[in-house]
Amino acid sequence: MNANQQEAGTADEIRLLRDSAADFVKRSTNHQRTRALRETLPGHDADVLRSLTELGWPAILVPESHGGMGLGLTSMAAVLRELGRGLLGEPVVANWVLPIRALEFGDNDDLKAKLLPQMAEGKVTAALAFQERNGDFGSNVTKTTAVTSKKTVLLSGTKRFVAGCSGADGFLVTANADAGTGLYWIRREAPGLTLSHEWHADGTASGILSLSDAPAEAVAATPATCAAGLARALDEGAVMVCAELLGILSETLDRTLDYLRTRVQFDKPIGSFQALQHKTVDLFILQEICQSVLEQSVRVMDESATTPAERGRMASRCKARLSDAGLRVTREAIQLHGAIAMTDDCDIGLYFKRAITLSAWLGNAEYHRRRFASLQPSGN
Amino acid sequence: MPDDDFRQFMADFIARNLPVDLRGKPYRLGWEKSKPWFQILSKAGLIAPAWPVEYGGMGLAAAKHIIYLEEMDRAGCPWMNEQGTMNVGPALIIHGTEEQRAKYLPRILSGEDVWCQGFSEPNAGSDLASVRTEARVEGDELIINGQKIWTSGAHDANMMFALVRTDKQAKKQAGISFVLMNRLQPGITIRPIRMIDGSSHFNQTFFDDARAKLSDVVGGLNNGWKVANSLLGSERLWAGSPRHAYKYLAILEKVARGAGRASDPSYVERKTHLTLDADDLASTYRRTVSTISTGRGYGYEASLLKIWQTELSQRIMELALEISSDAGGLSGDVSLDGETINLLYPYIESRPPTIFGGTVQIHRNILAKNVLKLPS
Repeated sequence: MNANQQEAGTADEIRLLRDSAADFVKRSTNHQRTRALRETLPGHDADVLRSLTELGWPAILVPESHGGMGLGLTSMAAVLRELGRGLLGEPVVANWVLPIRALEFGDNDDLKAKLLPQMAEGKVTAALAFQERNGDFGSNVTKTTAVTSKKTVLLSGTKRFVAGCSGADGFLVTANADAGTGLYWIRREAPGLTLSHEWHADGTASGILSLSDAPAEAVAATPATCAAGLARALDEGAVMVCAELLGILSETLDRTLDYLRTRVQFDKPIGSFQALQHKTVDLFILQEICQSVLEQSVRVMDESATTPAERGRMASRCKARLSDAGLRVTREAIQLHGAIAMTDDCDIGLYFKRAITLSAWLGNAEYHRRRFASLQPSGN
Repeated sequence: MPDDDFRQFMADFIARNLPVDLRGKPYRLGWEKSKPWFQILSKAGLIAPAWPVEYGGMGLAAAKHIIYLEEMDRAGCPWMNEQGTMNVGPALIIHGTEEQRAKYLPRILSGEDVWCQGFSEPNAGSDLASVRTEARVEGDELIINGQKIWTSGAHDANMMFALVRTDKQAKKQAGISFVLMNRLQPGITIRPIRMIDGSSHFNQTFFDDARAKLSDVVGGLNNGWKVANSLLGSERLWAGSPRHAYKYLAILEKVARGAGRASDPSYVERKTHLTLDADDLASTYRRTVSTISTGRGYGYEASLLKIWQTELSQRIMELALEISSDAGGLSGDVSLDGETINLLYPYIESRPPTIFGGTVQIHRNILAKNVLKLPS
């Protein structure tokens, strides 16, 4: 079964998921812990990860035939919005969306049957390593090579900006063979594979994967399906990042409104000043615009009739809007709070940096506006 | 009827019936010129898309109402006096008595009555609740004295609905009534106001012992503020429709071609930004309208859409003027590399929507107070 046949999930199912995510965020948000985890490896809290796994969320997108919940992106987006509010979304898109979709859209059914059930249970964690140069996306810019030697495929090259790398048991890597670019599954412990890190703005790890004649375990997608599957996985991943960004900017806005209602200067709550009211209203309008675009995007992604071009345009529209809005709301929140928000003790800075990280990941607003303009509309 | 079939039905109807000489006019036509089209729609039962069927409307749900407007736009249908079908009609449907509805609704639908709106006054603009035009009760009549301004289409209208002060002692909003009256009576005189686009669509209106029937007060005496607010919601929702922004984007594209800038990367980048702003507005408009059913009131969303749309349209025309170089300083139809474009008119036309129906600053005040619950 592929994603086309998956159910988007009924309204009740989605509400249930969202409520349990909201409840989890309420119980588990702890920004002292968020601070302590910055620039550490693996960079997430083992208890939180275990709870997320027990709630079954790694399995949301895995088809039922492979032991998953077989739900659509609408369901995943509902969870991500809530997790974004608590800055708890770190593993979701990188480990439970991108690699699961990339594997599923490939053409190795044996590998799917083997890996997807383990991924659904959180027993195997994968990360997608497709990017090599700054600002380059897609499979046509791949320099990594795949050379077959004595029935083993050896991968050589360097991948950068690998999100979700620190907890990964293996990687789905794009590489060029004679027949074209394919997607290969390689284990973390494979000889010739080394992993180093850069740090994202928010202190999470961005992996650099160096491969030197490193043996792949399997071909996850042959050149026949790799490019289209990867493009789709990246579009869907970008929209899911947007869901997390919406949670982040909504939480930032709510916290800012609380501050405006309670902080007193000139003997009045500062939220009574029109200059600040109008600035805040504009952020609220932006939030509503973001929600509309996200809801539409998720719907379009979940519809089986959507063409690749429509999917690309919609994903770029969505990521352009949310990347911009995430940055704007969080930096204006600093202005509205004043100097206190520049201190590391104030949580606003954590949201600000997470927004910077996610806005840049999988294409920033400028990239997606250019891509949107380059994809011709179908129909009108 | 499925949405696609309805779209086809509207497109066919318009193609068959819209008089050729009324198509694609960039300007607002007066009542006399647009009347034939009004009557064609009226006879076919297509004049009031949002009214409930029991009052002679089409009772369209939100999605079909949008299709109705989209097809009207696509075919270049003229913009007609909307005060009856869009404003006073819905106000009567929500707040009127059975007698008022029976008396006025059919005459709105047939075009026998043409309405104008008397809300603003020289000293009651953004602060609309400061209206001073006063009406005193005498027997079963109201005697009205005072002055209104920005009465759009008053010269075409035979009827007027107005906000008048019926209790001077009560607090601002509490002493206002919403009343219907004969526009052509001797106690009412109008004076056209010439605007910077050359039009004289707006008027000053003077009341000297003008009369209205007490039975023509809508929603009860001193209850007019509530009636006016329910009506302004629909005006804001109209102002927030993405079709305005798309109209200006089409003008921008034409200007870019004429000015040889269509594939200039710096232009393309800015145009893409504006296109995305329009597309994302359209998503929000659909989400909003789908939550509003026929005949119900409008929420804060109408203010939000109005702010985003009207400011976006202005930014689009600002870019159009900027890329048009010398031609941007010319008036009327301008020939630009094979394209004939009027730049000045749409540039000016994009300005007042951030002012009328409540300025965008007033709407930000409303959202700050009522939705974000910020202190005052």
